[in-house]
Amino acid sequence: MTVIGERIPRSDGQSKVSGEAIYGVDYAEPGMIWGALLRSPVSSGRITRLDTTAAMAMPGVHAVLTAADAPDAYAGWVLRDQRLFAVDRVHFEGQPIAAVAADTLAQARAAAAAIDLEIEPLPAVVDLDHALSPDAPLVHPDWESFVPTAGPDFPRGGNLAAESISDPPGVDEAFARAHRVISDEFVAQRQYQAYIEPKSAVGIFRDGRYTIHTAHQFPYNVRDRVSQFLNVRPSAVRVVGHTIGGGFGAKLDASLEPYAALLSRAVRGLAVKLVNTRTEDLITCPSREGAITRLRSAVDAEGNIIARELEVIADNGAYSGEMPWLASIALHCARGVYRAGPTRVVARLVYTNTTPTGAFRGVNGTYLYHAVERHMDHIAAELGVDRLEYRLRHLFTDGEELLNGQVLDDAGILRQGFEAIEAAAPWAELQAEKRPYRGIGIGAAWWLTNPSAGTAVVKMHEDGTVAVVTAATDNGSGAVSMGVTQVVAERLGIPPADVHIALPDTDVAGFDGGSQGSRTTRIVGKASQIAADEVVEKLKNVAAGLLEAAAEDLEVAEGTVRVKGVPGKSMTLAEVAVTAMNTVGPIQGTGSFVTPFPDFNPGCATGLMLPSFPTPTYHVHLAEVEVDPVTGNVRVLRYLVAQEVGRVISPDGTYGQVMGAVTQGIGYALHESLRIGEDGRYRERTLESYRLPLAGDVPRVEFFPLEHPDPDGPFGAKGVGEGPVLLPAAVIANAVSDAIGKPFNQIPITPEEVLAAIQS
Amino acid sequence: MEMTFTVNGTQAKVEIDPAETLLGVLRERLRLTGTKEGCNEGECGACTVLVDGLPVDSCIYSAAATGGRRVETVEGLTLDELGRDLQAAFVAAGGVQCGFCTPGFIATLVSVLRENEAPSEDDLRTALAGNICRCTGYSQILDAVAATVSRRNGR
Repeated sequence: MTVIGERIPRSDGQSKVSGEAIYGVDYAEPGMIWGALLRSPVSSGRITRLDTTAAMAMPGVHAVLTAADAPDAYAGWVLRDQRLFAVDRVHFEGQPIAAVAADTLAQARAAAAAIDLEIEPLPAVVDLDHALSPDAPLVHPDWESFVPTAGPDFPRGGNLAAESISDPPGVDEAFARAHRVISDEFVAQRQYQAYIEPKSAVGIFRDGRYTIHTAHQFPYNVRDRVSQFLNVRPSAVRVVGHTIGGGFGAKLDASLEPYAALLSRAVRGLAVKLVNTRTEDLITCPSREGAITRLRSAVDAEGNIIARELEVIADNGAYSGEMPWLASIALHCARGVYRAGPTRVVARLVYTNTTPTGAFRGVNGTYLYHAVERHMDHIAAELGVDRLEYRLRHLFTDGEELLNGQVLDDAGILRQGFEAIEAAAPWAELQAEKRPYRGIGIGAAWWLTNPSAGTAVVKMHEDGTVAVVTAATDNGSGAVSMGVTQVVAERLGIPPADVHIALPDTDVAGFDGGSQGSRTTRIVGKASQIAADEVVEKLKNVAAGLLEAAAEDLEVAEGTVRVKGVPGKSMTLAEVAVTAMNTVGPIQGTGSFVTPFPDFNPGCATGLMLPSFPTPTYHVHLAEVEVDPVTGNVRVLRYLVAQEVGRVISPDGTYGQVMGAVTQGIGYALHESLRIGEDGRYRERTLESYRLPLAGDVPRVEFFPLEHPDPDGPFGAKGVGEGPVLLPAAVIANAVSDAIGKPFNQIPITPEEVLAAIQS
Repeated sequence: MEMTFTVNGTQAKVEIDPAETLLGVLRERLRLTGTKEGCNEGECGACTVLVDGLPVDSCIYSAAATGGRRVETVEGLTLDELGRDLQAAFVAAGGVQCGFCTPGFIATLVSVLRENEAPSEDDLRTALAGNICRCTGYSQILDAVAATVSRRNGR
């Protein structure tokens, strides 16, 4: 009997549906008081007056802190470019200027509003192209003083926050002899992660250390960031995780946590809680960055792509966060699934006076694949050839070498993806059945499984159940509550209900790379599998004497340790665990795992911070849409996904990731609009104007998992969660362009643009 | 001011501020934290509770207006046969991921299924227009409702 690939109830399911689960916003400490932040109302300016006297005299107020009360320290995930509070200058709307602690939340917010603040507005850098022009003001005139958090400095300067350039030989020569050159420009807006639980944090300063309670995707990163901001060593900060109401990348870096910590210290250790209003959350969230992508392809007389050039300018916002690391993803997507000859890739990340951008599921990939796949449709149309046939002609096969020198041994899986889609939705039939205002789009992608390190301890209890101690978090995906749980249950031959995995605590569990990049089932699952293997060996050794058999003749299965092939000669795990107490001591195992980066050519590019894609997965999507010619609304009628998953550990978890990611992609493609005004402020400020997909907006996704078990993954697992968000914008834009007969090269595709295109 | 209402079948007398919302009373005064605050502007539906059987966004519903009325929250619906069936079906069908929206969905769906024992999928997609789920894409929530309907109609 196996539990791998079986539907099991998630271990936190009952507490979530009944309202018993305690999320970050629900968490309370005895004697807790409340905090609030004063945030900059403008995106660029000089603080000319900051007086906290009146605020300090407000009812219930315990403390009011500004930059003068914080350590003189710079912090940042990749580059230490950020202070806890604005000092003299403000660089984006929403930047914290002061923090208040008071008896109630209402008192704290009232006192924050009572702080006497005057800001002299300065010109804001907003436009991405202009940010790099010589006459643009510098967002950070002191950029040279910023220090990388780890390792050597990387290409940057002025408003250029990071740069990655790959310039292989032969590009210009190929363009010079091209039969024709096809060029496109694509623009993508920002996307707000819009998890339903706003960010919150509780800070406690006690015994000279900071304890932080937060619902977070990456507790160890919070520890590091708080330690940087507060200028203490990382071990002086303990982060305790709570149930997360969604994150999607936005809860990977610290947000309110360092303020809660500093406020608690200021009020002599009382617990202080901060919680964002929805508008605060929206305007300060590290959203998916906006970007301009320019693509040129050189095509020979036979229609083959013989060279390509991709330039992308992405919006870093006012501080760098994780973004510089991600700039080299353009290199991996520019020529990632289709042959295109030598390809020049220029990726630039620019500082602007806007909210810092950050990780959102499928980082950088959504707009890069939108660009590549729209461009493929454009080339096919120019050549007068079928879009699908043109893709298949250029499609990667096994052993393809990428721009970074990485070799894709199994890229032939892409063709299986196209075949799976074809079997369910034959292309010729879709074309033949096409009606006015309906369109079809198809596209393909490859992606990584985040390789970051993880560790787990599996403890055998005397009743035969186990606890898994890990700092991994279940952001809702089920990677812990199903995936890791199933891996451990399978290894030990016990029901998943007998595996208990506690919430993360950095004082208890070892480092974990966080809930990001589809890594948890694979990395933490593997670490837990290794730990469970150690438990198995120890169980056998203890049982060997009791069963009068050699350890190698024993197996652990069905809740027992038993002699292989000898029915009836067995002991329950509980009996063995109890015996161990009196012989070798408690049984537990430890496992650690990290995926090495695949081989690459370090000389292929400058600024190569994410050098290659570990544990590749392959994706093919198809969308059929209908455009309403009266309202301009686009309806997705049908959506198909063929995806390489390694091996399905949890069917509900896998389908849930695919269905949920496609839904976020549909929102990104059609109506999630986070526009930035000329003043650098967001125009959308609430969930009323920021329009999320509703139940009536999305079709049921038809999903075709492709299973090629990864020998290094736990029971063959690879990452699942991110890949399916990469392609919806690409294939929906292709489908809408097909429906109207005009190119749609901006994300999102708004009804206004659709109507304008129909009427033009 | 003092306000008396019925919460999950029990009468509660609470001192409230006239400007307070029902959500504030439930979460802060009665510590019924199963009902969530997602936006505080009546958009996301995480705060949905039933007032005299009808779903309302408790974050924009006046607490004072609840006086004398019957309020059901997710904690109470856990003791309700239909609510319990729905909750079990959400877990079994994969209809819950992060779960933050789930109490609101349960409240809305209890109200829908009390009115209509077998709603169509289109009816449900319309009825759920006031509840946003950012994780699931809704399909597995609809599966959970379908499973609940067939289970109850088979009883």
